[in-house]
Amino acid sequence: MNRRRPDLFTALCAGALVVTFLLMGCVLLIIVLRGAAALPGHLASQQTLFALALSVKSACISTVFCFLLAVPTAYLLTRAHIPLRGVVEGVLELTMSLPYIVLGLSLLILFSSPAGKALSAAGFPVVFSQNGIIVAQLVVNLPFAIRLAITAFHGVDRKLETVAGLLGASPARRFFTILLPLSRHGLISAFILIWSRALGEFGATLMLVGVTRMKTETLPGNIYLNVSTNHIDSALASAFLLLALSAVSLAVSGWMTRADGRRSRYE
Amino acid sequence: MSERSLAVIEAEELTLRRGRFLMDRVSLRVAPREIFAVIGKTGAGKTLLLESMAGFHRPDGGRVLYGGVPVYRIPVERRNIGYLYQDYCLFPHMTARQNIAYGLKLRRAGREETARRVEELARRFDIARVLDQYPATLSGGEQQRVALARALITQPGLLLLDEPFSALDPVTKQGLYGMLLDIRESFGCSIVFVTHNFREAAVAHRIGVLLDGRLRGTVLGSELMTAPWDGEVRAFLGLPEQMSGKKDDAGEVYA
Repeated sequence: MNRRRPDLFTALCAGALVVTFLLMGCVLLIIVLRGAAALPGHLASQQTLFALALSVKSACISTVFCFLLAVPTAYLLTRAHIPLRGVVEGVLELTMSLPYIVLGLSLLILFSSPAGKALSAAGFPVVFSQNGIIVAQLVVNLPFAIRLAITAFHGVDRKLETVAGLLGASPARRFFTILLPLSRHGLISAFILIWSRALGEFGATLMLVGVTRMKTETLPGNIYLNVSTNHIDSALASAFLLLALSAVSLAVSGWMTRADGRRSRYE
Repeated sequence: MSERSLAVIEAEELTLRRGRFLMDRVSLRVAPREIFAVIGKTGAGKTLLLESMAGFHRPDGGRVLYGGVPVYRIPVERRNIGYLYQDYCLFPHMTARQNIAYGLKLRRAGREETARRVEELARRFDIARVLDQYPATLSGGEQQRVALARALITQPGLLLLDEPFSALDPVTKQGLYGMLLDIRESFGCSIVFVTHNFREAAVAHRIGVLLDGRLRGTVLGSELMTAPWDGEVRAFLGLPEQMSGKKDDAGEVYA
């Protein structure tokens, strides 16, 4: 029998894979086993239901606003000659690499300023309010959403838009009839990924709105409060909920992409 | 009427730099209903010249006039130029029918008129049976004819074709020669195409030879092999060495 022995490089890569799998597997296993066991009792809790509802609601709203800003920005960055493009891209990269707690601190100072107080007086309080959760999720996720939208737009051959232009399509028609339909796979995946990230956002939210029971308590906030009060099982049950929501969003993303692929299998 | 006023599109001392490549002061004029071919080796700048004629590039020097106006300054949606890319660039998420109808829909043509014009063009280009198929299921020749129909449905004044023969088998290629003549007769547009194969250029009324970013001259289609070209052009055309000819001010080669 002529079986080839793996070379050292392949063996090292396989070792890395095993370590990665064990590490990630253990993390998931703890949440699944202990969290699932604690979940039934935990689900009856008003606090958990409040945190779940607030997390889902704020993630939905912030993700929609995130894409309303990210898609046009990515369009301009990939399709137009804009002045100071390097500066804009630099700001995006920098905010993407900043620790979220730093972003939260900056937001806290910004919305505690006279302008922020005026905003609050006008009926839109941000600091220590649920609006702040949406703002924090929006600011944390915006650079990622722009980056993902840019990647989706880069995947579309620009010549197609040029042809559409020569046939008489205005920039808006080129965007809605060519670029958007052809980048939809990437944009749908990006939307779901950003929604998942918003659901788990904690650092910036903690700085901007804190965590107050039944007021600004999201699922990550609920975990934080439960660990602080030594209710580890309750914290694990909330962690299980977050894990389940992420799994569902991944499954939905995969299903939508596959369904879309079936509809346009000739593309 | 002077030749200048007759020109549909006209490059005047067109200069473009792309990295190390320089397109050096190219001047040419294309008359109404003329078929003009640009031939040259791979990397000679043929596609860059064609794209400049479509207004895709801002010249570093000189200008390209379309209907007397610098083409680069005309908004792309108002240029009324048909452009056929080498890979046809059909919209992959639309059927052949939707691809062809795209330009008419933008002009808010009625549903019946659009359907009639699409069917008419489909019959002309022999693609009626593939109208409801997506581009990925079409052969290269069918894709090209769909792209031609799509470009022509808006009745452009100028049709620019990038290497239209390169991916076709000899029979389909022969059909395209006749199709270009038919397009010119039926649609009344000028046609400019680029090719690296001088045999394919024979269908054109006039031919310009572009080598290393410089237009070495233009001749009538029938005179490509007999014109007194310089040594480099003769080598490209596969002609034996001969004494150089002369050129007039417009770059036309004459013996």
